[in-house]
Amino acid sequence: MKATRFLILALLVWSLAPLTWQLYTSFCIDQALVTPFASLNQRWTLDHYQSVLNSNPPFIRYLLNSLFVGGLSTFLTLLLAIPSSYSLSKMGRRSSLVIKFFLIGCALFPYVLLFLALLEIARYLQLGNSLIALAVPYAALSQPLAILLLTNAFSDLPAELEDAARVEGLSVVQRFRWILLPLISPAIASTAILVFLFSWNEYPIALTWISDSGKLTLPVAMARIAGSSIHSVPYGPYAAATVIGSIPLILLVMVFQKPIVSGLTTGAVKG
Amino acid sequence: MTLELENVGRNINKQWIVENICLTVADNECLALVGPSGCGKSTTLRLIAGLDPVSAGSIHIRGRDITSLSPSERSVGMVFQSYALLPHLTVFENLELGLRVRGVPKPERRFKIKGILDLVQLWNRADNRPAELSGGQRQRVALARALLRDPEVYLLDEPMSNLDAQLREDIRPELRRLVLEQRKPTIYVTHDQHEAMAMAQRIAVLHEGRIEQIDTPYNLYHNPESLFVARFIGRPQINCLKGDSGSIRAVRPESIRFSDEGLSGKLQSREWLGNSQLLFLETQQGVIRMMTSPDQGIPAQIRLTWRAEDEILFDADTGLRSRR
Repeated sequence: MKATRFLILALLVWSLAPLTWQLYTSFCIDQALVTPFASLNQRWTLDHYQSVLNSNPPFIRYLLNSLFVGGLSTFLTLLLAIPSSYSLSKMGRRSSLVIKFFLIGCALFPYVLLFLALLEIARYLQLGNSLIALAVPYAALSQPLAILLLTNAFSDLPAELEDAARVEGLSVVQRFRWILLPLISPAIASTAILVFLFSWNEYPIALTWISDSGKLTLPVAMARIAGSSIHSVPYGPYAAATVIGSIPLILLVMVFQKPIVSGLTTGAVKG
Repeated sequence: MTLELENVGRNINKQWIVENICLTVADNECLALVGPSGCGKSTTLRLIAGLDPVSAGSIHIRGRDITSLSPSERSVGMVFQSYALLPHLTVFENLELGLRVRGVPKPERRFKIKGILDLVQLWNRADNRPAELSGGQRQRVALARALLRDPEVYLLDEPMSNLDAQLREDIRPELRRLVLEQRKPTIYVTHDQHEAMAMAQRIAVLHEGRIEQIDTPYNLYHNPESLFVARFIGRPQINCLKGDSGSIRAVRPESIRFSDEGLSGKLQSREWLGNSQLLFLETQQGVIRMMTSPDQGIPAQIRLTWRAEDEILFDADTGLRSRR
């Protein structure tokens, strides 16, 4: 019991300490960061936030860009992954296993290696500087993981539920509406969050596809802040940007905490 | 005949799961499908419901060929072993779903559901989720859903196997009242032969995807057509003794008597069953099971005999009944 508590505490420190440090940095004046133990009249400041939020274009724009790309790529991912994982769960054992291995292979493939080819495609189709276009590779790269997670959720549902609905006369669409989607919603929520996170954090593709400074996503915008001067690293504004950038994620996880936990553990409702 | 199955079979990967199933069930008749697990009884039910495609043969309801119709077009009411109630909907909503997709207007839906829930005495639980009901109540909701369809055929797939023994006994008359009074053909799948005998007028014994015998409970017990049926029906199991010229002599445990002459044996163990006792007697022919009254004493010199007409002869090679 004691050991478990200690372990939980250690894990909390491990994961929260960097965040706390970032939070602290974002509210400190630069001098306090360099000389942490010096006594200063004025230690705290909101200047970093002001400079980040008042930059041109305002930082909130990047946040909205990222939210848009994240939302769209999550939507596209689920739109494709839900029907494909449903069919995969209904397939024969052998063929579904082959496809699953193939998907695991895809999921393990380092996507950075695809990135030059993607760039060529983007150039050919003139998809540069379009947030909608950016959501397409994100959705594609998230497919394997999303399909694998959702297939497990579908397979965990008792088959008799759908059989009963077929006898009652429900069509496939009606079964999705009334039975399948409500019952796998925990798995959908956890999958959606993983996809959203990927899109939120993705850097190389966003860096190369988007050059228009009004359309940057958060990671690229943050990198621009960090590298804005060759003489110094602007720790304060950078920390403020990361704090603002993580607020939506924290809210998201708090709202969906319950379904995520149940989705990751059991995957579905048992009879 | 209302429900007819003609040489129905299901084939998966060139292997027959069930084969040559021929059944007819009349209105107001309950036919039980029994057999060991994996014998194809649930598959047969799924073929009738249209949940699995039929590979061979044809199925008719009231003369209408339904072999290739979808489940919803067949007008069957089915009760599943797990009850298959949706956990996120209330009892009322569970029942309403089917009516809603069939386009029944709202006031009529409410009226019908009220009627059916009154019948199964669960109207006061209409707003509860299935998780808040007991096993017996869930079973009645599943039954209510089947009744609500007012189907041509009732299919019950092990409807009581998730209930404990006492509850099963209590629910049986209820189930008879609700389903059999609909005067529609009913097929009742169970692995419990007592339940089959209690519920059904006729029983079909399935073995490895084929029907071994369809008959009344009485005939299955007293005139089994094959060794498999003789062994499957009746507990404690029938005694099988080696006969002459490759035959097997089968004798029910309650037909065995003590006597002055006959097969000699030794008492191995005894089980008290309340209204009877079961003796395990070691003989040259192996262990013989004998059912006798609880006050029957055990003689010092055990010799066993039975009447010739209580003995059923089977061919050892084919396992089929051989008549004298």
